[in-house]
Amino acid sequence: MQIETNKLIAELLLMTEQSSSTVRDLKTLSDEQLNYKREISQWSILECIEHLNLYGDYYLPAIEKQILANKSTPNSAIFKSGIIGNYFANLMLVKEGKLKKMKSPKDKNPTRSGLPITTIDRFLKQQELLKSLLNQARTMNLTKIKTPISISNFIKLRLGDTFRFVTYHITRHILQAEKVLKD
Amino acid sequence: MPEEQGFVEKLIASLENKNRKKVISKGEFLIKEGDTERNIYLIESGAVRIFYLSEYEEHIIRFGYEGSLITSLSSFLKGTPSEFYIEAIRKTSMKVISKEDFARLVNENSENLRQYTNLLETLISQQIDREIDLLITSPTERLNRVLKRSPNLFQHVPLKYIASYLRMTPETLSRIRNS
Repeated sequence: MQIETNKLIAELLLMTEQSSSTVRDLKTLSDEQLNYKREISQWSILECIEHLNLYGDYYLPAIEKQILANKSTPNSAIFKSGIIGNYFANLMLVKEGKLKKMKSPKDKNPTRSGLPITTIDRFLKQQELLKSLLNQARTMNLTKIKTPISISNFIKLRLGDTFRFVTYHITRHILQAEKVLKD
Repeated sequence: MPEEQGFVEKLIASLENKNRKKVISKGEFLIKEGDTERNIYLIESGAVRIFYLSEYEEHIIRFGYEGSLITSLSSFLKGTPSEFYIEAIRKTSMKVISKEDFARLVNENSENLRQYTNLLETLISQQIDREIDLLITSPTERLNRVLKRSPNLFQHVPLKYIASYLRMTPETLSRIRNS
């Protein structure tokens, strides 16, 4: 897969803004609604969001580090996706609004009692940071710059794929959060 | 600080007839980021923490317990949205002083105004102490400075929160406390 860098960044910024907007709406719900789960194995709205925070704790500093370290890497107007990166990103992409159940790594499991309301504020701050990083990356080489992934230090994804993975993953779980009260 | 004590006592006395009290339970917030602070709180029992939330974690900047005056200060002074959260560490009861009542008392006479100035001077010195705290590399030295100012801190506040205030892990804090 290849795409113009500018176009990719614009798409990801739009998705990021949509996720933020949905979460700002969710913030108006009551504590009971935010912590509601139909069954124990299902995540509450706050748990969906905390799961994303835990990923952000890993990926945002990792991305920022590479952006700062690669200011002088010659930029490229075209982003070419890698095989593994494209696979992971597409795995996260929600197709036709349908969510397939997936397993999360243990260290990213958010289930603990009584998540505070600050979970949402923290997520919205992470989203602002993600937007800022996307904007900074506009003039960078998304193919040559690479970041390690959370489950292995040996596998590195192209920055463009990391951005796609992170953004699609957020969209997926925000959709899941929206569905908690609807189903 | 007898003079400030006098001012605080006067504050309380001026409230007696209005008697605005507030009790919040553990985990409840007095104010959240984005709200505007309209009150000063005088804590009668319990304890609160003031913290700033970043993308990654909470940073505690101040505690309040029995006898403390507490507020989200810059929001209170300037009427801007609060950058901080104030949360009860356990059940906390306090007296509530509105911005209007506070201003009225301060401007009542020159003596009150002088005492208010004293209070602000104390506050500025405390802020400078805190600024130096944050510049000190040694965790042991950071702890010692804070204990000198607030010898009873550990009786009011759980260790994990003190660790956050000192910008160290709870493990490091308990190690240097035990050594």
